[in-house]
Amino acid sequence: MKFTLHVWRQRGPEEAGQMVTYTVDAISPDMSFLEMLDILNEDLIKKGEEPIAFDHDCREGICGSCDMMINGLAHGPERGATTCQLHMRSFHDGDELFVEPWRAGAFPVVKDLVCNRSALDRIIQAGGFISVDTGGTPDGNCLPISKPQVERALDASACIGCGACVAACPNASAMLFLSAKAGHLGSLPQGEVEQQDRVRKMVAQHDREGFGHCTNINECEAACPKEISTEFIAQLNRDYICSAVRSAVKG
Amino acid sequence: MSTAAIKPKGARVVPPDAGPETWACHYLSSTVGSKVLVAVTGLLLVGFVVFHMIGNLKLLFGRDDVNAYAHFLKHGLGPLLWIARGGLLAVFVVHLALAFRLQLRASAARPIGYVYQRSAQATPQSRTMLMTGIVVGLFVLFHLAHFTFGWVHSADIGGGRQSDYLHLLDEQGRHDVYSMVVAGFRTPWLSILYIVAQLVLFCHLSHGIQSTIQSLGLKASRFAPVWSGLGYATAATILIGNVAIVLAVWIGLVPPVFPMVK
Repeated sequence: MKFTLHVWRQRGPEEAGQMVTYTVDAISPDMSFLEMLDILNEDLIKKGEEPIAFDHDCREGICGSCDMMINGLAHGPERGATTCQLHMRSFHDGDELFVEPWRAGAFPVVKDLVCNRSALDRIIQAGGFISVDTGGTPDGNCLPISKPQVERALDASACIGCGACVAACPNASAMLFLSAKAGHLGSLPQGEVEQQDRVRKMVAQHDREGFGHCTNINECEAACPKEISTEFIAQLNRDYICSAVRSAVKG
Repeated sequence: MSTAAIKPKGARVVPPDAGPETWACHYLSSTVGSKVLVAVTGLLLVGFVVFHMIGNLKLLFGRDDVNAYAHFLKHGLGPLLWIARGGLLAVFVVHLALAFRLQLRASAARPIGYVYQRSAQATPQSRTMLMTGIVVGLFVLFHLAHFTFGWVHSADIGGGRQSDYLHLLDEQGRHDVYSMVVAGFRTPWLSILYIVAQLVLFCHLSHGIQSTIQSLGLKASRFAPVWSGLGYATAATILIGNVAIVLAVWIGLVPPVFPMVK
């Protein structure tokens, strides 16, 4: 397969970047998108040019490093898949592909397609944890949690923090990430106790990082490689309203 | 953007002894708090639009019915009228101001846009809420200028004479709202403008109502189709109810009464 690639090239955080056009040939349809970029990079190195910098780690869809916007869609056109799990058979021979980094003020570009997603870590630091020591592994079923509740918490905990929700949102809002993290802990008895405090702190940090607001248009849900539902955003809003009312009434 | 790591167990964001202004500043100015306020004010505005439509539909029951209702609204409520007007204005201002403020934040949140722009599943009306909102806001101003202040157009009262909207009176000496509306919608450009505005309002509400339910945290997967159906149904009811008045004037279901001025 043959492709024309338009890739964002930026030498460093402070420098201006631009789209640069490359062509790749003899690409197998079974290659992943990252393997295709590897081949392009080998070519560039042979020619003595600077290879394209992109983040990647596990290459099995669980680490959330391989962040790129492909033809305007976060992680490309495949639903429920990260870029490393996107294969070239998802495209047609001769396609033109636009590859860009995540775009958000809170995610500064480090180089080419690599951006700094530490803002998400700081949201976790603000409240995405349980303060009490829960001890060692408890005996099975000694803490009764219903099956639907467990499933709900697991659905939320599938979030790998890749930031695709921010990249896909026209407002660059991290609400799906935030709500998945808060929803995961808030769905379980260990985390429920602190939930109202947690959502307040995490939302405050989200705003401090300069992310936008949620307009409920569900672009994030389509981009999420773990297919996390915007239902968690509704849960977050509910918890936030409860937190505001409780804080007004009880101090 | 802050770069310093914050202490996980650091200071409470709102101290327990803080006054209500700290509470309001913290909760209501956050992105989530602001959009909850936009949602609540939006629902109040939807309520107003529904009652406005029901009142307008009295036109179909005859001249006396609608004129009596209009007379009651203007003279039968006493000071309540000004409380209602003030409240409505406040709701409008809060809805607009917060929506603009959030939009400014959102624009700042993505300083560099994408070269290739594409949407995965967002509906067109959900992506154009600000635009449709601005159009509806401008239409409200025009609507006030047209029917409340009577600045835009004058009524043909037969015999080649024209009358100011506000000087149309019926047999009982009440303001003749019936003739005013008939005169307005028998003018093609005005009626087309009203129908277009109603279509834009439909777009705004078809996303707005279900978005409100989500912002208030009431949307769960079990009832999600119900809520979105309710959003479309309410928006469609408002569209049909309001456009019906324009069409009723067009097809002569609501005939003009000449001479309109006694």
